[in-house]
Amino acid sequence: MDQNHIRNFCIIAHIDHGKSTLADRILEMTDTVKERDMKAQILDEMELERERGITIKLNAVQLSYTAKNGEEYLFNLIDTPGHVDFSYEVSRSLAACEGAVLVVDATQGVQAQTLANTYLALDNDLEIIPVINKCDMPSARPDFVKQEIENIIGLDCSDAPEISARTGVNVDEVLEQIVEKIPAPGGRKDRPLQALVFDSFYDSYRGVIALVRIREGQLSVGDRIRFMATGAEYEVLEAGIRNPKEVPVRTLGCGDVGWFAASIKSIQDVQVGDTVTSAVKGAEDPLPGYKHMNPMVFCGFYPSDAARYGDLRDALDKLKLNDAALVYEPETSQALGFGFRCGFLGLLHMDVIEERLEREYGLDLIATAPSVIYHVYLSDGTMLAIDNPAKMPDASKIDRVEEPYVRAEIMCPDTYIGSVMELCQGKRGIYKDMQVIDAGRNSLVYELPLSEIIFDFFDRLKSCSKGYASLDYEVIGYRRNDLVRMDILLNGEQVDALSVIIHRSEAYARGSAITVKLKQLIPKQQFEIPVQAAIGGKVIARTNIKSLRKNVLAKCYGGDISRKKKLLEKQKEGKKRMKAVGSVIVPQEAFMAVLSMDSDER
Amino acid sequence: MNAEHPDALYVHIPFCRHICWYCDFCRTVYSEAQADAFLAALDKEFSLRKFSVQLDTIYVGGGTPTSLNERQLERLLQLLAPYAREVREYTVEINPETLSEEKAALLAEYGVNRASIGMQSSDAGLLKLMNRRHTFTDVQSCTERLQRHGIENFSLDLMYSLPGQTMKMLESSVEDALSLNPYHLSLYSLSIEENSVFGKRGYEALDEETEADMYEYICRRLQQAGYEHYETSNFARDGKRSLHNTVYWQYRDFYGAGCGASGKEGNVRYDLTRSLKEYIQDPLKRQDTVLTPQEQYFEALMMSLRLREGLDKARFFRMFGVSIDDVYRDEIAEECRRGMLVNTDERLYCTDRGWNLLNEILVDFIA
Repeated sequence: MDQNHIRNFCIIAHIDHGKSTLADRILEMTDTVKERDMKAQILDEMELERERGITIKLNAVQLSYTAKNGEEYLFNLIDTPGHVDFSYEVSRSLAACEGAVLVVDATQGVQAQTLANTYLALDNDLEIIPVINKCDMPSARPDFVKQEIENIIGLDCSDAPEISARTGVNVDEVLEQIVEKIPAPGGRKDRPLQALVFDSFYDSYRGVIALVRIREGQLSVGDRIRFMATGAEYEVLEAGIRNPKEVPVRTLGCGDVGWFAASIKSIQDVQVGDTVTSAVKGAEDPLPGYKHMNPMVFCGFYPSDAARYGDLRDALDKLKLNDAALVYEPETSQALGFGFRCGFLGLLHMDVIEERLEREYGLDLIATAPSVIYHVYLSDGTMLAIDNPAKMPDASKIDRVEEPYVRAEIMCPDTYIGSVMELCQGKRGIYKDMQVIDAGRNSLVYELPLSEIIFDFFDRLKSCSKGYASLDYEVIGYRRNDLVRMDILLNGEQVDALSVIIHRSEAYARGSAITVKLKQLIPKQQFEIPVQAAIGGKVIARTNIKSLRKNVLAKCYGGDISRKKKLLEKQKEGKKRMKAVGSVIVPQEAFMAVLSMDSDER
Repeated sequence: MNAEHPDALYVHIPFCRHICWYCDFCRTVYSEAQADAFLAALDKEFSLRKFSVQLDTIYVGGGTPTSLNERQLERLLQLLAPYAREVREYTVEINPETLSEEKAALLAEYGVNRASIGMQSSDAGLLKLMNRRHTFTDVQSCTERLQRHGIENFSLDLMYSLPGQTMKMLESSVEDALSLNPYHLSLYSLSIEENSVFGKRGYEALDEETEADMYEYICRRLQQAGYEHYETSNFARDGKRSLHNTVYWQYRDFYGAGCGASGKEGNVRYDLTRSLKEYIQDPLKRQDTVLTPQEQYFEALMMSLRLREGLDKARFFRMFGVSIDDVYRDEIAEECRRGMLVNTDERLYCTDRGWNLLNEILVDFIA
């Protein structure tokens, strides 16, 4: 296929505006294979690939489409991750395209991620095709939403298709506009190779598979290539496209989107955003936009059964194969034993990893409260990057502490402005701007400490706006604040896993809330247990867990023995699942207390 | 103690006129036909199992044995008569409202010498909450009736930590109970059993703090009234401890007969079917559990430590041929160090604190 008949595009949308449904419909309507066969084929292949241990991602699919002008076009539809944590990955997927289909829900209109994704697309000079989805819904207001898009984003919506991805109505118009409006890929095949890596995954037989968009030159099996950022060199062993079945090709031509394998063992070598070039006759410069991704959120993962430490390590090793953004290193806690301090792109990323460890690897985990990286400047001028509150040095040695800030843009209807502002204010937010986008809707801009965002901010934003507020944020740098380490002491012993770094002004309220929460969670024991919150040895909040006075079976006669014995065995099992902190037995939920208290205690 | 045969017999009568909401025992609502069928099965069980007739104690519990009508009650007593000849203690559980004059006479006639009466509370509201259909006056007339027929030795069961119960309510129930001058009292804190109506309806007992206050009050008050606190929940005056229940707490063997009953003979514990239908078809249908020595050591400890006097170390050695100190050396030392147990040459028993926290001790003895 000549370059002029290639269209590379992605679909962007706010969550639940219908991105996946539209993709499904496009797959059905374009594929040369019949609808029913295609489904069967995909399923068969996934079954097979599952057996081979590959995580299925339809990262990029090639489709052929015969346009109304009678000519056949090659579409490369590139998938984008759907969450604010992954905005860098989204931007690299966008960079692999010439155009984007912007899906906006006709019942909801423009939302925060509609905007965020559109700006990302504009940054990458993409041609944007606005599409109004869910027009079959009774509450659909396509004209209103079009007006909104024109007002807020400035996109011409006069011929924006009004579709229903669910029923397929007018999806053909979208396909036609892709042909008409999205430019064919540029670049020349005789120039040195420049291929953008926009995703990768690990295949247990072939190593890391890189997904690339050929910007300049071409890439053929047998070529020696180099990843420009990491410097790693390999020989291309296999290359191909997906349609959605994997189809091997000899050469990926200029403008193509495809994959290649080169026996790459480490996902570290294949960084999203990196440029692949020839190891022999390389390009002078990499493609613009590469950023090394640094984890933003950290927490400790500990197996609740210490014997499964090895299993946790193996599981993390395996997840890491597919996830370059995941970092971890061994960590020891007095309270929790051996575990790992893990770094994530964001809270969602953390949740996903935790869930996969528990579900796919059957691990029962204790996760400590998430933390950001604090920059701690010591009196002698050195700077420490602290990702674990327990490692914060003694206050006397600290000159100042800085924490990461984000610029958060929140879109919400008038009705909820008050409560959203209250939430942001309570989270140490600094008000920056508010704009009325159209009748009844506003965009609020706040600067907030990242540490506050990772502390149940999403949940509370959703609940205080009945689900109508949407959020997007980006990290804007570090700022100095009066931050202190607050320790929790049980029976006089500091529990390292419960230490938090916190703004001094909030310490008292949080300390009280945590101690009260712990009092509820830690069962009474044979002696009284003081529960204290302290900053540098000074106790700021205290409560007592009274000693247990009575725990004995009310009745136990001849016929009760087996049943009552089972009851005691259950109590024993429960006790085994708890962690001993000094002489105090602490249930696992207690370590999550600092996490959950925000929503409960306020 | 007879080394060859158990010398205690428990008979379970699984019928009640009404189901109490805290109860999860083997029980069903009384019907005359079913009770007849049950008694026929019980008859069959006795003729097939050949219990020793040299028994020291018989305990007829339930359910409610007195839910049977007069004819049926007599049939039961006749069935048990051959076994009752030499017993020192012959107890029948009684619900105050089901004991007619005739039934009381029958009990006395057949040698029943002890009654255990379900009083639970004298508070009308709490009784109603538990779905009990009697008043304190019923309890009063029931004890008078028993006494008239010569059954002087009776025990009253009371419950505390009931939903909505206040200390005041408990106090007046205890005073009312004492006014009847029973030889024996059992005071049980409510435990919500999963299969009880309370359990299914999500009722909760009172908090541990209040429960402990109530328990302390009970211990103090009954001691003051001259009762010996001889087991966690049991009190007796003038030496009238329950001989039969002491068999359980000393972990001695006992026969169990009747639908839903359990027994222990040597290293075998058996549970007769809890299904009345199955029992009527085959009264020998039961499940046997062979207990390992380790299990028996633990069970002996779990039961004995409920007694004020604790575990008789010589008896333990006679039963198992090992010394408890050898079986649980470290655990005993640790509990003694914590002030939960006292270990002398003769006995191993709980301190006051340990007695209240017996579960905490026992859990540490589980491997």
